[in-house]
Amino acid sequence: METLCKSHLPQEEEVMKCKVCGREAVSDLCVHHAKAKERVQAAYPLWAVAYGRIDWEVYLDNVKRNPQTGQWAKEIAGYLLGG
Amino acid sequence: MSLADRRYTLVICEKPDAARKMSEALAGGSAKSSSVNGTTVFSFSRKGEEFVVCSAQGHVYGVSDPAKERAVYPVFDVEWYPSNLVGEDSAGAAKRILAVKKLATSASRFVNACDFDVEGETIGYNLLRYACGGKEGTALRAKFSTLTEHDLLSAFDDMKPQTGQGLARAGRARHAIDFVWGVNLSRALSQSVLSSGHRYRTMSIGRVQGPTLGFLVLREREIREFVPLPYWKVQGVFERDGKKFTAGYSKEKVGVKALAEKVKEECIGKEAVARSVRRTAVRVEPPVPFNIGDLQKEAYRAFGFTPSRTLQVAERLYLGALISYPRTGSQRLPPSINYRGILQGLRELTEYSSQAAELLMSEAKPAQGVKEDPAHPAIHPTGEKPRRRLDFAEVSIFDLVVRRFLAAFGPPARRELVEITMNAGEHEFRLVGGRTVLPGWMKYYGRYVGYKDSELPVVFEGDSFRVGEVSVEEKFEQKPLRYNQSSLLEKMEREGIGTKATRADIIATLVERGYVSGGSMEVTDLGLSVVEILAKYAPTIISTELTRDIEERLEGVESETRGEAELLRETVRSIASQLMELYANEETVGREIDSALMSAVAKSFVLGRCPICKTGELRIVRSKTTKKRFVGCSNYPSGCRASAPLPQKGTVKATHKACEHCSWPEVYVVGAGRPWKLCVNPTCPRKKKS
Repeated sequence: METLCKSHLPQEEEVMKCKVCGREAVSDLCVHHAKAKERVQAAYPLWAVAYGRIDWEVYLDNVKRNPQTGQWAKEIAGYLLGG
Repeated sequence: MSLADRRYTLVICEKPDAARKMSEALAGGSAKSSSVNGTTVFSFSRKGEEFVVCSAQGHVYGVSDPAKERAVYPVFDVEWYPSNLVGEDSAGAAKRILAVKKLATSASRFVNACDFDVEGETIGYNLLRYACGGKEGTALRAKFSTLTEHDLLSAFDDMKPQTGQGLARAGRARHAIDFVWGVNLSRALSQSVLSSGHRYRTMSIGRVQGPTLGFLVLREREIREFVPLPYWKVQGVFERDGKKFTAGYSKEKVGVKALAEKVKEECIGKEAVARSVRRTAVRVEPPVPFNIGDLQKEAYRAFGFTPSRTLQVAERLYLGALISYPRTGSQRLPPSINYRGILQGLRELTEYSSQAAELLMSEAKPAQGVKEDPAHPAIHPTGEKPRRRLDFAEVSIFDLVVRRFLAAFGPPARRELVEITMNAGEHEFRLVGGRTVLPGWMKYYGRYVGYKDSELPVVFEGDSFRVGEVSVEEKFEQKPLRYNQSSLLEKMEREGIGTKATRADIIATLVERGYVSGGSMEVTDLGLSVVEILAKYAPTIISTELTRDIEERLEGVESETRGEAELLRETVRSIASQLMELYANEETVGREIDSALMSAVAKSFVLGRCPICKTGELRIVRSKTTKKRFVGCSNYPSGCRASAPLPQKGTVKATHKACEHCSWPEVYVVGAGRPWKLCVNPTCPRKKKS
C-alpha cells in the first residue's frame, strides 16, 4: 500500500523568518539583515586593501567587535561567523 | 452696578496672565477683578469707556467628528466643539466658554486681543463666532508683540476691524486637515492591530509626524547597517631649541596601513622646514537676532534644553513681559521696537548694565537676518525688570535672549587664522589654529560664543626643526550621528514641514508614542515598523512632498491669496486613496505592527549579556510559583544557572550597561522615590567593599 509522505500532504502557508532576528523574510534574511550583509561583504575588499590582507573570519570578528559598527551589521557578522 | 447692567467693550485674550497684564496696562492700575462662572475677569474704564477683559486658556474649541466611534473610519465630516466635549482638555474650557457667553450678552463691542499669529487668531475667531454669537466679522483687532504697557496702549489706540481673516481661516483649515489625517490613519492602524489579535492599542501618525519619523528612520537604517572602514592618523612632533609642537600629516586620513607606516619611517629623526606660515584675518559679523527656531537650537547647544522646553520657558517670559512674542519666524528687529529704549531698560539690570551703557554710546543699529515674519519682529528683551524670581530655565533663556540682542548691536569681531606647513622630505605636515584678535560682538554674547582660541607656536618661514616622534594611530570611520532634538528641528525647517509653533510638539509626540526613545532619539522597532508599513501601503502619508505642499497652500490661505475649500477637498481625496490601500491589507499591516509591538515588549525584559555563560541574555523573569521577579539567563534550558534577585517594588529598567566591577548588568529602579542604579549581582565586589 502506498502511503503519503508528509511533504505530499497539504501544508499551511508558512511565513519565512529571518535567521538573525526572526522577522518576516523573503529568503533566509529580512530586508534589514540582507542589506547589512551586502554592506559587510562590500566593505571586506576595502579592509583587505587597508591592512594589506585580512582573513574573512578575522575581518568578521573585527567588524562584530567594533563599537562603530551598526547593530544589524554586527548581528550579520556574528551570523556569518556561525555564532 | 453688576456687569450685566452695563454696556461695555469685551476684550478676549488668549491666556489669563495676558488678560491680567493687559488690564493692568490699560487701566493704569485701577482694574477690578471679579469672578464670572468661576473664571477671573477684569473691568475698568478707559477714556470714558467701559472695558471687560476675559480670557481663553489656549484652545477652548477643538475639531472632532460627530459620530466619535473609534472603530469607524473613514471620517471626513468634522465639526468644531468645545474642547471638553472632544476630550482635548478639561473642564476649564466649558467654564471659560460659558463665562464669555454670559459676558457677550451685555457687550456693545468686541476686541480680539489674542496673540497675533495663526493659533491666536483661531482661538479668538472661535470664541467670537461660537460664544459671542457670530461677532468674528465685526470685532476689532488689537495687535501687539510684547505685553509691555507701551505696546499694549499703542495696540488699543490703533485697533482696526479685521479684514479677510486669512490667519484664522488657515488655522481652522490646518486643524481640520490635521484631524482628518490623524483620526483616519490612527484608526486604520489601530484597527489593523486589533484584527491581528493584539489587544486594542492607539497607534497614531499625524500629517507632519509621518515624514518626521521618516527622516529619523532613514538615518537609523544608515546607522544600523554601518560598517566602519579603518584609517590611520599620522602626527609628528617637531622640536627646535628645546621647544616642541605637534602637527598632523597633510592627509588627515591615510587609508592604507603600510603607507602610514612608510610616512613614519621616512620622517622620524629627519629635518623638517617650515615651508609656509599663512596668517589670514577674518571678519566675523555679529549674529542675527533670534527667531524661534534659532533660539531653540541655541538653547539646546548651550543648555541641552529640548525645543519644547525652550518654547514653554520663552512663553512664560513673554507673559511676564520680559521678552517679545516668541513664536516668530523673523530674524529682524525694526526700529519701531525702540532700540534705545530697550537698551536703557537693560542698563538698569546689573548683569547687563555696563554693556548696555556701552552700546548706548554707539549708533545702536542691529545686525539683521534674512527671514521675515509680517506678524512679529525677532525675539528681543523688552527692557523690563523681572517682577518675580525667575527659575533656572527662565534665567537661562532670558540671559540668552538678552545677550543675543546685545551681540546683534555689537561691532564685527576679528579673528586670525594661522596655517603652518612643514615639509619633512617629500611629506607635508600641517598645523592650523585661530585666535580672536578683536572681540567685537563676542564680548556681549559672552559664554555663548562658539569660537575657541588655540595656542600656536611662533614659527617663521624657513625655520628648521627635528622630527622627534611620529605616531601612527589606527582609527575607524564614525557611524552617522543620530538626529538630536535640535538638528531634527533644523531638518524640519529645511524641508518646510510643520510650523514654527508646532515643530517642537511634533518631536515630543514621537517620543510619547514610543516611536523614538527620548534622549538619544533612537528609533524603536515600533517606529521602524510603522514607517516601513506606511512606505509599503500608504507612501504618500510619509512623503515630505505632500506635507510641504499643504504647508505652502496653507500659507496661501494665511496671506489671503487662495481659499481653503479646495485644499480641504484635495486633502480628503489623498487620504481616502491611502486609506483604501491600508484597509485592503489590514491583516498584513496588523501582523507586522503586532510583531514589532511584541518585540518591543520582549526587549524591555532583556537586561544584558550573561557574564557566566557569555552567550545567553539575562532577563527579568517572574516565578510561576512565588510570582516574584528575578534575573535569569536565557540559556537556562541548556544549563546556565546565572540568576539574581530583584527589588519587588518599583519599575526595573535596563541601563544597557555592565557593572565595571563584575560585568553583570546594571538596572535603574524607578519607584515612588528617587530612581537609583543597581548592579543586579548580589555578590558584586563593589557591594562587598561598601
